[in-house]
Order: sequence, then structure tokens, then C-alpha cells
Amino acid sequence: MKRRRRGEVPEPGCLRAWAAESEALAGRWRAARCWGPGGAAAARQQRGAFGELLLRMRGLPAALTTLPLELTVLYNSLLFAMGASDCAINGEAEEIRQGLLRVLEACGASGQDLSTEELWQKVLQEVTVEELQAPLHRLGALQGAWWLATNRLGSITSLFRLLSNAEDPGRAPCSGGKNELLSLLKAWRVPAEGDSVSLVQSAKDLKEILCTAAAFLQGLQELEAGNLPAALSLLQEAAGGFCSKRVLAQIYTCLSCCTRQMGKPQTALQHLKRALQVDFQCLPALSHAAAVYHELGETDAELQALAVLYEALERNPPAAASTTPYCLIQTEHLVHTPALASLFRHRHPSEVKYLLAQRCLQDGRVADAVEHYLDFLALLQDGLQQQVPLDGGSALPRIPEVFLEAASALEQAGRHQDAITVCEEVVSRTADLIPQTLRVEEGPEQLECPSPGTELAGGPLSQKRESLCCLVWRTAAYLHQGWAWAKLGKKKEAITQFSRCLEDLLRVQLYRSGVEPTGSLLPEVKLLQEIRLLSLIGRGTQFLELGRHREALLDFQHGLQISPGDPAAASYLVQALWKLNRKQEAATRWQKLSESPAEEDGQQEGLGRCVARRYPLYLVSCLKQAAFPHNESLAGNIQDYLRTTTS
Amino acid sequence: MLLGEEEQVLSYNGEVLIFQLSKTKHVEGAASKITKLSVRRMVFDRDTKLFIQKSSGLFNMHGSHLEIEMICCSCTTDSRSGIILPCILMKKKKRKNVLKYLLLLLHSSNQFEQSFHFKLDYELKEDIRLFTGPSVLWRHANKLFYISSDTCTILSASVQLSSIVWAGEIEDEGTVVLGIRTACLPESEDEQEFSTSDGAIWGSEFFGYAIETQKMITGTCFMPHAYSRVVSVCVCKKEVLKKQLRISVVAVTHKNQLIWFQDGLPKGVCELPYEKPCSIKTAVTSSNDLLFIVSFASGNTCAIWRDSFQVASKWQKVKSVLVDDFIGSGTEQMLLLFKDDSNTDVLSTFRIIDFGEINYASDINYKEDDVPTAEGLQENGLLMVQALETRLQAGYTSVRELQHHLRLKKKVILESCRALIDLVQERSHILPTTKKEGLVSLWDDTENPLHSLNEEVSLTSKVTDHFIEKLWQRIVDDRLIVGVKLTEPFNLSLGDVSLSLVMDQDFTLISPIIECQNKIITLNKAFSALAISSSQIEPPPKKMKLDFHSKNDVKKELHKRNLKIQLDGAKTFIAVTSLSPLLAFHSVRCTVLLHAKKQKHQSDSLQKSKKITLLCGKILLSLEDILHGKYSVKMLRDNSYCTGSLEDILAVLAVSIRFSFQIVSSDCTLTPVNSWLLGEMECTPFKECRDNLFCHKVGNLYGTVLNWTMKTPFEGVLTLFCRNLTVLFQCLHSLTRVLPPSSDIKLLRSGSKDVLTDQLALALEKEVLISRNSFSSKENKAENSLTWGNETGKKISDAPVASFLDSEEGVQQFRKKLQNEREESMLSMNQTMNGALYQEITLKIAEAQLHSDMIVWRLSKS
Repeated sequence: MKRRRRGEVPEPGCLRAWAAESEALAGRWRAARCWGPGGAAAARQQRGAFGELLLRMRGLPAALTTLPLELTVLYNSLLFAMGASDCAINGEAEEIRQGLLRVLEACGASGQDLSTEELWQKVLQEVTVEELQAPLHRLGALQGAWWLATNRLGSITSLFRLLSNAEDPGRAPCSGGKNELLSLLKAWRVPAEGDSVSLVQSAKDLKEILCTAAAFLQGLQELEAGNLPAALSLLQEAAGGFCSKRVLAQIYTCLSCCTRQMGKPQTALQHLKRALQVDFQCLPALSHAAAVYHELGETDAELQALAVLYEALERNPPAAASTTPYCLIQTEHLVHTPALASLFRHRHPSEVKYLLAQRCLQDGRVADAVEHYLDFLALLQDGLQQQVPLDGGSALPRIPEVFLEAASALEQAGRHQDAITVCEEVVSRTADLIPQTLRVEEGPEQLECPSPGTELAGGPLSQKRESLCCLVWRTAAYLHQGWAWAKLGKKKEAITQFSRCLEDLLRVQLYRSGVEPTGSLLPEVKLLQEIRLLSLIGRGTQFLELGRHREALLDFQHGLQISPGDPAAASYLVQALWKLNRKQEAATRWQKLSESPAEEDGQQEGLGRCVARRYPLYLVSCLKQAAFPHNESLAGNIQDYLRTTTS
Repeated sequence: MLLGEEEQVLSYNGEVLIFQLSKTKHVEGAASKITKLSVRRMVFDRDTKLFIQKSSGLFNMHGSHLEIEMICCSCTTDSRSGIILPCILMKKKKRKNVLKYLLLLLHSSNQFEQSFHFKLDYELKEDIRLFTGPSVLWRHANKLFYISSDTCTILSASVQLSSIVWAGEIEDEGTVVLGIRTACLPESEDEQEFSTSDGAIWGSEFFGYAIETQKMITGTCFMPHAYSRVVSVCVCKKEVLKKQLRISVVAVTHKNQLIWFQDGLPKGVCELPYEKPCSIKTAVTSSNDLLFIVSFASGNTCAIWRDSFQVASKWQKVKSVLVDDFIGSGTEQMLLLFKDDSNTDVLSTFRIIDFGEINYASDINYKEDDVPTAEGLQENGLLMVQALETRLQAGYTSVRELQHHLRLKKKVILESCRALIDLVQERSHILPTTKKEGLVSLWDDTENPLHSLNEEVSLTSKVTDHFIEKLWQRIVDDRLIVGVKLTEPFNLSLGDVSLSLVMDQDFTLISPIIECQNKIITLNKAFSALAISSSQIEPPPKKMKLDFHSKNDVKKELHKRNLKIQLDGAKTFIAVTSLSPLLAFHSVRCTVLLHAKKQKHQSDSLQKSKKITLLCGKILLSLEDILHGKYSVKMLRDNSYCTGSLEDILAVLAVSIRFSFQIVSSDCTLTPVNSWLLGEMECTPFKECRDNLFCHKVGNLYGTVLNWTMKTPFEGVLTLFCRNLTVLFQCLHSLTRVLPPSSDIKLLRSGSKDVLTDQLALALEKEVLISRNSFSSKENKAENSLTWGNETGKKISDAPVASFLDSEEGVQQFRKKLQNEREESMLSMNQTMNGALYQEITLKIAEAQLHSDMIVWRLSKS
């Protein structure tokens, strides 16, 4: 073998060339980060450059001397890759795996068939080369980040257990009741950043981000599991950590959810306030605030919050988060859970508008309710269908119900003609959707309510339910129209509408497969019965006004057949009997009625009943209208009569 | 071209040569001792788009076809004529262990010529190359052998090698072999240098060997030694560009990469789509692009663009790839020969392609393959990139313009601000330039004869004990620090305090007064316990309802607390002087005097500036004590706290320069600052005042005191007490590395803006109060010539104003009242005033205005 001649200058080896290139790339990134406006573009470019360098390094057999640099380049290129994407990609896990395999290759071992967890264990336990420890630890932090992002807390915990043990085997890292992962992360000593390697994001940063993300993620999990005190302390820990404004606002919002569930609404509100102070773009905080106010019964504040939310949503639709070029990996990259997604569900302006309208109507602010409903209907005209979220989390009910609620609001505001028009819309839309006859079987299998997800799936049962729903909406629309006409003094029209309602109700044919208690009816069927009752009372009153007492009597009697104890129907019946001059009968009926305990609070009882039976919002106004208004005078008349007859 | 033992394909001058060893079919048995080597010249016919046979030749060899094999074929220069001719290496088994090798040349007349032959006792297996001469080169048992038609003897080179990577012609050097051998490590000299060299790391290296001159050429001008472990085969080109020798090498590696080296440096890497690459070819296509064609052991082939280093196309089941100008267009094309089990003819399934216009295929199915689309994509991609680049450029320029515009605007705003400030300052006629916070001018009353001073001292010395709580001295670096702490009630009644040191000994030549710098330091003792835990308790709902009020409440409370802290943290008056001049006296006794203005309460503010002088005590400085470190500052690290007496802390603070920085982060929380303080800076809080942190880091930074107060998670003030500016820069430099770049650091020259704003508000409030109070006092003193606010007027003023405006009568009444008030004010304006009172009022107001103006000035500077 020929000896190298003495004095010959050794040519610059690949290792030095690579180190220089890596250094230059990191330097260029630092400069771009500080001065350049296009951070994202720079990041993409750097990512490519680091990836190319890595490719070149991997083109050679692994050697212990070059591995520290190779792992550093891998770390840098992975940082760019993870920072550029919104969430972790599988490619990165594979890259880390490749890195570990290269380490094993250099040490003359292999681990192709091991899982990544086992691979880490093998590498950290068997590779004792001093120079490799720091890069391996840094890579471990990245692996931890990736596992956090994919919610594999067990894996990251055991990895950091390994990392701490490798560093200080004598010390037990777990300190009692405290969260193990968090204490492990905090105990993890960040490898010193030597002069020879340039990192595009320091491991210290990464550690802080990991701590925050781990606390946040676990806090969310505890929140989901219902361990509120644990969730609270974890989230508070997260709130003190390193993160961006956006994440801090999210953490505060989660804290508010936690404290709200712990029964501390005021604290919850304070957390929400803090969230908004930190980042006003955190609009879900506003909707949470509205919910808390709702819970507290502070309707003014609730409506205000909703109004602000609507305005904010309308003014600037939430833009995609612009990631700052500084942190390649941020907390938001690492925390992904369904719980977070549902907590920060982006509400559509139309949804908020509807909530505003609904809350106004529920609270009796009829004028505001009308405004909001009309706004909402206008939005609907603008082709809302594509925009309205129809998933399970949406606050919107089915559109016909919104129409009916709007009609109800209009009616209460005295705009009867408008109410009629709105109802006409429902009537015309549902016309083709209801079969001539609807046979509804009463049976135990219908009792099991299908879950919301399967409801739209479209089996024979759900189709039948859909038809039933349409029927409910249609008849309710007729009912509203009837009362509206009645309010306008047009009794004939009113009677026509009520009759139409009753006619449509006849389409339902209930047949019983056995002796079943009525309690086992479908909710829609029960609702149809209520509508029937209200409609009969309505038509009866109109007949009474027209002086057609006999027909009125028949209607009230039918009504009482449907709902034997109904005070309104019973009172009207008494009145009808009285007007027909069947005074004795009326008196006995009245006596029976007054003996029943529910008699005293006629109107109140009606409203109470609606809450008890879970009336839909759009029927409440009809219910109010059906209440018997002349209780006192009728009572007086009858008592006079009784006195005269007994004396 | 290894196609199997019976067939070899070679491209030559746009023709395809098919060599075939024919089996003797018609003559059966052992009688046949002749094997025929046939060659067919095939030409591509553009009309039929098929290869047709142009001519053929035959060569008879003795021996059965079982004994004769084709080893390889190539086109090489015949050194006799200089013409490139196809040649083929044949092997013939002679006897046991002896093998005869024949090299045949094919002339254009289709006649074979035996160039030379040689005999070996082993089989040629590894790295066989045919090249100019023709000559044959091979490797056996780590040795390089060659034979040429000129010498006809086997020569061996004096090199050990593990494989041949490339062999070819290089200008000036002749035939060069690029080989790999184990690295020769140098002797012990500069070992460190070599431990990071490629040879040391990977253990093998490249070398070049010129066969004719038998000269070694360094391998690094081809490729870095590191690649000697992976490169299996390469192509190489040497060219003189601008009088500089350039060697381009393209190599394939075991790691499935195609790497392009320029002058020994890797310039491009391409991941190959298949495993085990075994050969590379180059082709120059019609669009003047260079293509690398890589064949794989598995029969796959791919083509890679030189410019983009991207895979242009890939094919499977390829029997052979040839590069030549088959269609006669003037540029090269690729000819792909596909494996076809159904057809034994080599040219049954083929494809000619150059990634330009030319694309012929024998099979219709192949015609519309992925290639045109890939090609289209490439073009589209290029166009797209161009368009995007232009857009990018345009966007960039517009951004630049906007930035420029912004800069201009900023400039204008700054200018106007400055103008406004100038205007304001001019009008107010105060231009405080030198006065600094906490720095009181040196006691300069030197004309005072000392004895009179002593008299004064003796007058006051009796009461000293009541006022002075502590007198102490410390030495930091080469400075002496003398501190005086006064008792609290006395402290409050003093203003404009300064200390002076007077030497006791009478040195006639030197002034007895020691020049020193005065400082007043207030140290907060209160711990900064952030009230996070307080959120555990549910706050009363009322607070939320009246949000703004509650906020104010909190503020007020905070304010109160601040005031209280200021009261708690007792003021210490400190004099700092240079130590070394004093050391010259070996032992010095000094008297510490305190000068102040005694403030009385506001009632008599004209006379408040009564100067007093207090004797605080004496200090003794001896060289002995100093050398024993009696007065030196001792800071110890105790667990996570820094223990040192309060005096030590004060001394350190007194000699330090104070800088405050406001740090605002626009996006990220500022928690890294805290971890920086506790981690990198190795700071520990003082046990006595935990807000302040002492830096224990060994080196220049040791002894720096830092204070970090966070207002929100995104904003805070960092105060540094450092010995000199270098330390400050060192701190800041290390801080900037931890801070998110989106954060903004601003030097607060004179207190934080918020504090100043608060102060301004207070000052303005005071101003208003003073004018109100003074006028009301004037009112009291003025003769009661007029009864203020008669009955009716009072009555009216009680009722709310709105009710007046309801009726005409009300409006009338209101008007009347207004009239009354106007008259009254006219009368009051004409009132006379005592001159002394007027003087007092004016002075008070002027003082208050001066104070607020000063704050405004500071605010404008911050």
C-alpha cells in the first residue's frame, strides 16, 4: 500500500463540507427570519435545502464521526417539515426512524423489524457514544413532539423516561402525585448547543413548547374525562407556558369550560375575558361567554355577547392562522384532539343570528326576535344552504321550524299578515312530502329513538319519521294561520285554516299492535295530538264567536277526548254549554273543573305545561292563545246561577 | 451488453449490431467442431418504423458452442487506423484450467478480424473493460491487469485495488482507470486533521491510474473519498472550460442514488426509483439536454435529466438500452429493447425516444405511454414556474415600494413629533438637560469654611441618633460605597438629600472633601407573589357586572399597594467614590455628612427650603481591612436563593449602571425570559428582595443584578444593573437569542411609559388641586362683599337640569339663573387681591406646572 506523502495537504473531507453547508443554511435561515418578509417561502426553501443535504449524507454509509452532524441536519429538516404542515405527517415519523436505523447501522446493529418505541429503547440503551448523546436527545424531543401531535402520550412518557434515565440513572424522575409526563419533560436536561452545530430552533424552545403542549393536551383529556380539578391544574400550568397568543386564548377558553363545569361561572367568565384580551380573534370564547350568561340567566349580557360575536364574524371571517416564521414548531401543531375541535368549533354567522333570534323569542323580546328572524330568513334567501353547517354540533334546527318560529314571533309582534305569509311558505314546501295516509305502528321497536347520526340515514322508520315531521310542520303552520286570521277578525278564514289542520291530521292512522300505554308514542305523534287539541280549541272559539255554539261544543268535546284534563278545553266547553243555555250541565262541569287542583292557575299552568312537555318554541304562542281568557266572568256567571238555583 | 450467452447487442453508427453464436443444428453429434458467430446489422426504417436487416457477417471458430462464449462487446478505436470499430471478446475453454480469450474486430465489410488472444488460468469475471487499442483491462485478486494489441502480453499495474469504477480516456493522461482501494492512513502526524477526513471515516479511497504513463492521479478531483464505499460505477468527462480543467463525474451508488460531482464536489443527488443500479449511459437529445440512463440489475431502466436532476421516465422489463442516432436526425436517441417472452428476436419490442419529438415504438400499446404526458408536464411545470416567478417578482417590488412608503411616512411623523415637542418646549421655557433621576448634584459649597461647618455639626450631632438608622460602607471593585439609612419619619420630611465625605486628617495640600457621586436607592422588600392562585376562589358576580368599575378598583388597590411598597422600601442614601486615591493615605477616617432641605408641610411652602446638615457618623478605612476583604460584598448561593445582606445588595446596585428595557412580544408569550434568567444566566433571587435576581454566571457577567416584571404574558420590563456597557451588551446578546424575533426590545430612558403617564396624571391633578385650593383660600380671605349663591339660585341648582327644559317657564328660569351666574362671575373677576397671596399662588402654580412639564418632557423622550 502506498503511503501518503508527508506534507501533502489533506483534501477537505465531506464531513467538513457538509458542516459548512449546514452552517450556511442555518445562517441564511436566521437572516431570513429576522429580515425577510416571506417567512413561509424561506422556510419552504430551507426545508428543501436541508432535505437535499440530508439526502446526500444518507447516500453514504453511516459512520459514527458523521452521525452527530447527520442527526442535526435531520433535526433541522424535520423542524421545517413539521413547521410547514399544520399537523404531523407520517413521513416525519419515518424520517426519525431512518435516523435511528442509521445510528444502529453505524454501531453495527440492526433494528429493521422493531417498532419505533423499541428502536428508541435500543438506541438509547446501547449507543453510548458521547458525541451522539446531544443530537439523539434533540431528536428525541422531536419524536416527543410528533407523538404528542398524534396523542400518543404513553410513547412520549416512556421515551422521556428513557431520556432522563440515560442522563441520570440514580434519580427517580417521578415526583409523587404530579403529572409524570410534565415532570419528566421539565426534568429533561436540554443538551447544550455546541458551537459546531447550528439549530434552526433551539431544543430549549422545543422543550418549552413540549411542556405547554403536554399540559394543554392532558388538561383537555382530563376535561373530557371529567376530572375537573386535574384538568384545571394542568390547564393552569399550560397557561403559564410558552405559547402563542392564539393558543393562550384557547387555553383560557378551556379553563373557562373547566371552571364552568365546576360550578364557578364567574371564574369562567373571567377566563373568557382574559382569552379575549389576549386574542380577540378567539371568537369561540364569545360564544362560550354567551352560554355562561345563559346559564346565569343574564339574558341582556348573553344577547350582547351573541350580538358582538355576530358582528365580529360578519366583519372578518376567521382567517387561516398565519404561522409566525420564528417558531417552526408551535404548540398549535402539537395539540389536536376532537375535544379541542368541538370546543373551538367555528360558528357560522347564520347560526349566531338564529341563536340571537331564538333567545329573544324565548325571553319575550318579540320586536328584536322578529328583526333577527327576518335577518336570518334573508340570509337564507341568499343561498345559505351551502353555508349552513348541518353537522351534529350545529345550533340550527330544521329550517321549517325556524320558519314557524319566525311566524310565531311575527304573530306575537302583531304582524299577523306576515305570519300568515311565512306559514304559507311552510305549507307549500311540505305539500309534496306527506303521503296521503301515514300508518304509525305503536310498538316497542319504535320507542328506541334513533341517534341523530342515523336519523338521516334513511331507513323505512326514519323515512316515516321524516314524513311525520313534515306533517307536524304543516299542521303547525295551519294552526298559526288559523290563529293569525282569528286575530285579524276574519273568523271564516280562521275556521278554514283550523279545519285544514284537522283534515291533515287525519292522515295519520295509529294502530295498536297490542295494549300499550299512550306514553310509548313517538314524540312526533304526541306533538300531533297537541296540535290537534289546539286546533280544535281554536276552531271552537271561532265557532263560538260566530254564534255557532253547537259546532263549537262538538269541537271542545273532541278536544277533551284527546286530552281529558285540559283546562282550556274544559273551560271553553263550559262556556259553550252556558251559551247553549244548558246551564245546569255547565254548572256541574264547572264545579268538577274547579275541584281539580290545576284549575287556579289557568294561564300559568298552560305555560308550565309547555315547559314540562317540551313544546317546541314555535307552539308556545299558540298555546298562550288557546288559554281560556274569560275565567272570572264565567265563574261569576255560573256562581250567580248556582246561587239562584240552590236558593 | 449482457444479454445472455447467445446474443449481444451493440449500437454502432446508428446501426444495431446483433451478435449471435449459432448452434449447429443440422450437424448433430460430436462431429461438429465449428461454432459460428454471426452478426446482423439492423437499420431503423422510418417508413415502416421497424428495424430491418442491412447486412450480415459470419465468423467460424473451432470448438463446440458449449465451449465458446461471448464475454462482452464494445466500440473501441483501432490504434492502427484510428477508426472506431466494434469489437467483441470471446472466451474459449481449451484444456482444464486454461482459458483462451480472443478479441475480434468487426470491419465495415462485415469481416471479423482476430486482433489478439491471450491465455489465462483463471476466468475473467470482474471489471472487464475494452478500450482503445483495442486493449482489455480486468481485475483479478485485487490486481489490475491489461493487455493491448500492441504488446500482446499481459501487464499488471503496481496498484492494489478493490474495484474499478471507471476506465476511459482523459486528455493528456491517456487511458485512466478510476479505482477504489483501502485508504492509506497517514502516520501519527496531525492526527486530528485526519480523523475527520473521509479516508479515516469511511476507510477507503479513490485513486486514478494512468495506464500508459503508469502514474497515480489523486482521486479527489473525481469524487470525495467518502463515496468510495458506495459508488459502483460512473461516467466521467473531462473538459477544459475557460482554461480550467473541469471533471464532471456522474456516479450511481449502492444507496440507490445518482450523484453528480463537479471537480470532486457533489452538486446534485437524485434518488433512484429502483434498487441495485448497475450501469450509466449518457445521451444528448435533440433539445440539447443531457440525459443519464441508469440500468438496474432487475431489468428496470430510468432516465434522468441532467439539468433538473429529476427522473424523466422509467421503464420495466428492459433487456437492453442503447444510445445512438438511430433515425439519423443528428442527435442521439435511446433505444429500449424490451423483454418479450413470446418473441425470440431481440428487436421485436423496442422503443426509440429522445424526450423531444422523437418517439417510436414497435408496439402500439406503448405509443401513448406516460412519456408524452411527463414531457408535457415538465414543460407545463417550467411555464408555471416562470409565471410564478414573475408574479413573485412583481409582488416583491410592490412590497418593497410599500415598505419604502411606510418608511417615509414614519419619518414624516417622527419629524412632526419632534417639531411639536420643540414647540412645546420653547413655549414652556424649560429645557432640563442634565438632571437625571436619582442623581443629585455634588455638594459644591466648598467656600464654606470647614470650622463653621463643624460648628453646625456640633449643633446637630446631638439629635443624630434619632435620625440615622444605619451607616455602612462596602467596597466593590475599586470603589467605596458609603450608605446612610435614615429612620422613617425623619426620612419623609427631607428633600434634596445628598451625602458628602470629609476627611478628618488635615492635609493642607488636598481638599478634605472627597469627590463622590450620590445615589438614592429604594429597595422593595415585598415579595412578588403573583395572585394566580386567587382565581381558585369564585369571585362575587357583582364584580363582573360592573366590569369597568371593578377594574378601576383593582387599579386603585394596586396603586395603593405601590404607594405602600414605596413606603415600605426605605430609602438609602449612598455616596460612591473612587477607592484608590484614598488608599494612598494608608488609613483614612472620614466624616459622613448629610445635606438636605427640610420640608415642612405645604402650608408654608415658601419657607420650606431650609437647608440642614447632619453628621451621620464616621467611617474608618484602613488598608489592612481592605486587603482582608472586610468590606467586600459577599453573595452566597443558598439553595435557590442568593443570600447577602441588604447593604451588599445596595452596594452592588449603587456601583452599577441601570438600564430598563421594555420587551413586547407580538405573538408568543415571554416565558423564555424567565427560563433564560434562571437557566442560562444562572440567576438566583435575593432572599431579601425576591424581585431582583443575582447572576452567578462565572465570568464577566457575574454580579449583574436583573429584575424582570411581567405586566401581561406578552409584555414586561427587564431592568439590568450592570457594571459596564460591555456586560450590558453581553446580556442583551444572549437575551436576543432566546427572545422570539417577533418581540420588540425598547430602552426605557426615564421610567416606563405607563409609570410616567400615571405620574403625569397625578401631576396634572395636583396642578388642578393647587389652583382650586389657592382660589378657594383667596375666596375665604376676600371680603364677603357679596353673598354667594342666593337662595333662589341654590334652589334651582338642586333640581336636575333636564326638568327645566321641559317647559317654557323652566327655560326662562334657567336663563335667569345663567344671567345671575354671569353677573356674579363678572363681579368676582373684578375683585382685588392681596399681593403676597397672589405671589404665593403664582409660585405654587408655577412649581406644579414645572413638575408636570418635566414629566411631559420625559414622556416625550421615552
